[in-house]
Amino acid sequence: MTPVLELRGIDKSFGPVQVLHDVAFSVYPGEVTALVGDNGAGKSTLVKCVGGIHPIDSGEYLFEGKPVQVGSPRDAAGLGIEIVYQDLALCDNLDIVQNMFLGREHKRGIVLDEDTMEEMAARTLESLSVRTVKSIRQHVSSLSGGQRQTVAIAKAVLWNSKVVILDEPTAALGVAQTAQVLELVRRLADQGLAVVLISHNMNDVFAVSDRIAALYLGRMAAQVKTSDVTHAQVVELITSGRSGDLGLTNGVPA
Amino acid sequence: MRAGPSQEEIRRHNLGALLRHVHLSGPTSRAELTSRMGLNRSTIMALTADLTAAGLVREELPRETGRAGRPSLVVRPESARVYVFALDVGVDRLVAARVGLGGAVLDRRETVRRRGPFSLEEVVGPLAAFARQMHRRTRPDTVCVGVAAAFSGGVAQSDGVVRFGPNMGSVDVPFGEEMARRLALGLPVTVGNDANLAAMAEHLRGVGVGCRDLVYLHGDVGVGGGVIAGGALLGGHQGFGGEVGHMVVNPQGRLCGCGSRGCLEAEVGERALLEAAGRFGSQVGREAVRAVVSAADRGDIVAQAALSRVGDWLGLGVANLVNVFNPEMVVFGGMLREVYLGSAAQVRSRLNLDALSPSREHLRLRTTALGDDATLVGAAELAFAQVLADPLEVLARAGS
Repeated sequence: MTPVLELRGIDKSFGPVQVLHDVAFSVYPGEVTALVGDNGAGKSTLVKCVGGIHPIDSGEYLFEGKPVQVGSPRDAAGLGIEIVYQDLALCDNLDIVQNMFLGREHKRGIVLDEDTMEEMAARTLESLSVRTVKSIRQHVSSLSGGQRQTVAIAKAVLWNSKVVILDEPTAALGVAQTAQVLELVRRLADQGLAVVLISHNMNDVFAVSDRIAALYLGRMAAQVKTSDVTHAQVVELITSGRSGDLGLTNGVPA
Repeated sequence: MRAGPSQEEIRRHNLGALLRHVHLSGPTSRAELTSRMGLNRSTIMALTADLTAAGLVREELPRETGRAGRPSLVVRPESARVYVFALDVGVDRLVAARVGLGGAVLDRRETVRRRGPFSLEEVVGPLAAFARQMHRRTRPDTVCVGVAAAFSGGVAQSDGVVRFGPNMGSVDVPFGEEMARRLALGLPVTVGNDANLAAMAEHLRGVGVGCRDLVYLHGDVGVGGGVIAGGALLGGHQGFGGEVGHMVVNPQGRLCGCGSRGCLEAEVGERALLEAAGRFGSQVGREAVRAVVSAADRGDIVAQAALSRVGDWLGLGVANLVNVFNPEMVVFGGMLREVYLGSAAQVRSRLNLDALSPSREHLRLRTTALGDDATLVGAAELAFAQVLADPLEVLARAGS
């Protein structure tokens, strides 16, 4: 299987500080790839490089097997890459439909095409089997944490996206809502999307992922299949960059 | 030697196949039925005409086509007219529902069942009352084509007698017969094991649609399951198959309600989790299980250790099942949904150590898509089984 998104040899520095060293990262359609690593390992920087927020210093960026230049978030969105950040970037004073189309509104002549937007929003939420939201004309301020997360995810898949990156979607959620969001993450991948899940929670990672990519001090320690590793091995990769045959040897991937 | 099937048998089979298709996939255009069933257009037309005349389906113009040419008629199930009663006898609840052809729940009643000694009357009484209430509210042109129940216990295939139900305290209960007598609808009541039916429901309408080899694990007070192999439920010689909860995983382990020791149910059931978390007694049921997962999530180390222990045994159980059946998917339902999501690191670590590598490579672990209704949906499918096998005959009988 060809990865839909593939990074090779990515370097990224901020002034004198090199944050990413020769990072490789592959993401496959129909799969959930968990991106794990300690605080400061480079997860957020890597994701921002993918999303076009930070330009990469060197390395290859391939999308569907072809080299591409991603210099801005608009480039990434144009390829079909959507990122849901932890703060969700939703506007409390707008309703669900308005939030989902914020900045990309459909117009009919000079007025907004509310009917089409409402129908598209409803269809997207239904395709994700979201039944917890009462009305799509509800203000986002009235939604629970889990519902907000759901709306942010639905917003990301509305645009026929191919890759959806979720930054800690279950942090700060209760157990019942975490379960719903995890099931939604799984459903996205089962519908054919490539999903990247950033999480610190090993149960979340093992519950829904197909692959695990572990970053250690700015280097990709290992990219493994979830069916091939144990919890202890993944924790070792995160904390020391290696585990048995897996991981880095003298700072270089095996 | 038997000759090939007669024309009448082929027609009956095709009628059933078409009705099943519309029942499971929803409104479908004639053109699509033609290509999916591999029959020619005039055959599909004749079959739909027969089913329409019987009042099982209805043909309509599609709402929107967006394509040039004459639109193909859409065949929809007569959901409001043709229905079944689905009953669910769980340890903690009794549910009755009126389910329309196509799977829509038209009406539903539920009550709490107190845990305690089993009394047939206390189960049959409320369910029969619910069914009567719902029956009274139906329009005169509606027709009930079947009744089936999901029962938390081992059910004999031959006579619908519940042979054992350690968590219900029931032994040799002629549940189906008594239920049919009390309903007095002139229809038999088919009974199935709840977890077996839930497995079928997930296969037909849930997370396992399109997946022909699937193992479903259901956690209630006990642990049940169902094995779908090649699209069919494995029932075994008498229908008691699939009791994965009584697979022994720890011979020196905890005592099980069945009298054995270290069954999967004894190691991962509700009681095992609550006892390991030091919470047994104060609270029971799904809420108590959620409370343990929630406490573990907030950092309670006793709850974390309990979940980790239970997750380890669950992983071992799943590893055995994966090695024996090589399923494409394992589905966790009932309270095992919460247990799996709360201990997945443990479950998969154990699975990855103990299951054969080729069997686990393409294995998908999923949680139920139907939730707590999986057993009820399964009962409805069981109730529809006869009308889908022989639509016209069953309808003629029900209508008379």
